[in-house]
Amino acid sequence: MNSLNAAPVPASIDALVQALQSVGYFADRRLATAVFLALKLQRPLLLEGEPGVGKTALAKALSEVLSRSLIRLQCYDGLEQREALYEWNYAAQLLHMRAAEGQGGADMAQVEREVYQDRYLIRRPLLQALQAPAPGAVLLIDEVDRADEPFEAFLLEYLGEYQVSIPEIGTVRATATPVTILTSNRTRDLHDAVKRRCLYHWLDYPERERELAIVRAQVPGASEALAVQVAEFVGRLRSQPFANAFQRAPGIAESVEWAKALVALDTLVVDPEVVSDTAGILFKQREDVAALTRDMAVQLLQPADVDA
Amino acid sequence: MFSQLGDARTGKLADNLSGFGRTLRRAGVRVDAARMALAQQAVMLVGLQREDFSAALEAVLVSREQDRMVFRELFDAYFRNPNVAQKLLAQMLPSAESKAEPVKRRPRVSEALAPVRAARNAPPAREEDKIEFDAAMTASDLQRLRQADFNQLSASEYILVERLARDVPLPLPHYAARRTRPGARGSRPHWPGAMHHAARSGGEVLHIPLLQRRQQPLPLLVLVDVSGSMERYARLLLAFLHAATARRHTGAAVRRDVFAFGTGLTDLTPAFRVADTDAMLETASHAITDFAGGTRMGDSLGQLRLQHARRLVGRRTLVLLISDGLDTGTPEVLERELAWLRRHCGRLLWLNPLLRYEGYAPTARGASALHRQAHGMVAVHNLSHLKDLAASLASVLRQ
Repeated sequence: MNSLNAAPVPASIDALVQALQSVGYFADRRLATAVFLALKLQRPLLLEGEPGVGKTALAKALSEVLSRSLIRLQCYDGLEQREALYEWNYAAQLLHMRAAEGQGGADMAQVEREVYQDRYLIRRPLLQALQAPAPGAVLLIDEVDRADEPFEAFLLEYLGEYQVSIPEIGTVRATATPVTILTSNRTRDLHDAVKRRCLYHWLDYPERERELAIVRAQVPGASEALAVQVAEFVGRLRSQPFANAFQRAPGIAESVEWAKALVALDTLVVDPEVVSDTAGILFKQREDVAALTRDMAVQLLQPADVDA
Repeated sequence: MFSQLGDARTGKLADNLSGFGRTLRRAGVRVDAARMALAQQAVMLVGLQREDFSAALEAVLVSREQDRMVFRELFDAYFRNPNVAQKLLAQMLPSAESKAEPVKRRPRVSEALAPVRAARNAPPAREEDKIEFDAAMTASDLQRLRQADFNQLSASEYILVERLARDVPLPLPHYAARRTRPGARGSRPHWPGAMHHAARSGGEVLHIPLLQRRQQPLPLLVLVDVSGSMERYARLLLAFLHAATARRHTGAAVRRDVFAFGTGLTDLTPAFRVADTDAMLETASHAITDFAGGTRMGDSLGQLRLQHARRLVGRRTLVLLISDGLDTGTPEVLERELAWLRRHCGRLLWLNPLLRYEGYAPTARGASALHRQAHGMVAVHNLSHLKDLAASLASVLRQ
């Protein structure tokens, strides 16, 4: 069934870990198990976790691994079906109707059939995902928690059956079940019914080794010593008791950005001065930047040196 | 290690899985039959290698972050036959036995693992409402730890808090938000809707639907006193407020900012963002460092004004001040700060647990200042019944 350029689903968890790694995504084994099951059982996978731990990146990596197109639906407050699923091109339809009337003597039923034809249908991500050709697509429903409850109720039906009915056209079924990844920053709890449709994985901040691997891969310009220091520093920053001092701990994206900045500044060794100069990269809130004091930076750096 | 698990072909795996499912259910993790069937399928796919097995079950059976740790502890306890493992260990490493310490488990986990018999003999539900914390006043202050001791909730407390949060809806006031939705009382035209209608009437625009503003609950700011006399109340009040203002009970996202104050101010907002009430209490008690010192409310409020004034959103925030009003700071400072707070919030409500004493009058200097400045005071008559508290809080919000 697979078209020529579509890669097969990895046969084992190990193969999946390898494949993800080959496209630059370092997944731990528990995550890989969840993804593997999502692929095999053809269930959506709900990923939750703090911002910047690689939820969205996973969907991108998966689309690369599976050589399927990535269709992304970014959710936001007030997202509605017409922005997520489909919408009619009203303006074109109106023009069509006017034109039909202009010619005179048009049969109303005929006009209606013409107006609701395929070419006036604007396909939004969820419909695109259903109609994606043979190997299917990777559908990323990003930040579901931002959409409201009615949208969740709609998702429920969509994720359960992978079909939607458009009153004017009929039911559209998935040609191939899309690999669906839902992400949530947990600004609110999702409805249980949605969760029941999904497999679930909580993405934590990466452990030191994994973070180091990511920094190494993403910032090739960084020296080994610098990469180690960055991973170490950020890891300690996220752990107690330091984490309590901040509103929001830096994510992987921040540590990568920070490493890039340090390389750009020709830093060889991270010291308290450098930390306070570049705190704005690690933290995006004024209070947090202020909370990262010199003393704390000294403390954060000290045991790292002892370990190394 | 999987001696208890047995062989899939004999059906022992299925038995064990459903037994594990029941245990999870007892710990409050919602697991239904469909999930169990899926779990079995998942296990067949990944095999019985311990880490994968656990990860597969977790992916299928857990659907909330707050259940994750409960799952892991239960998994460890359930799929590690303690007797066999201990014996094996004892044979290999004679010294290991003495080192084996009882693992620290969450109350929810321990209660779920306890024999079912105990649960059946448990007193009827009414009895559960009695929450044991009234020994507080007799406790000696000599040995008090400086760290706040917000114990995690026992399973019955957990269920009670959840049930109250569900049954006693807090009528949080609403305001008109920026977001719009189609509605009859709107003022702006809803163009796509108009087009839609026109399309259905031969291109004639006969009716213009309107957009109206959505209703959003007012933001909430909770200030809780963690001086020694308040500890018991603070814990359960926080637990209740945490559960009751969660989105699943209010139907809409409520902005919640929470601070604890004693001699200083501690921001508990990050803790409140944790969805599980247990974890919230634990995080909160880690964060609070000035527990059981005096109460310097004035200074704490000053700190709030200086550092966190922006948490008071658009002067419409609903402020809940939980305190017994026994203040050791300067009364003038308190009066001034309270006046500032009153000016900058929508409503300032005082929740006072001391009201449970008959004939209480706000005579303490701090209390009288609070009495003057607050828009309302909640009579928390009998805190041994959280239900009454929830009801009275709801009633004062309705005023």
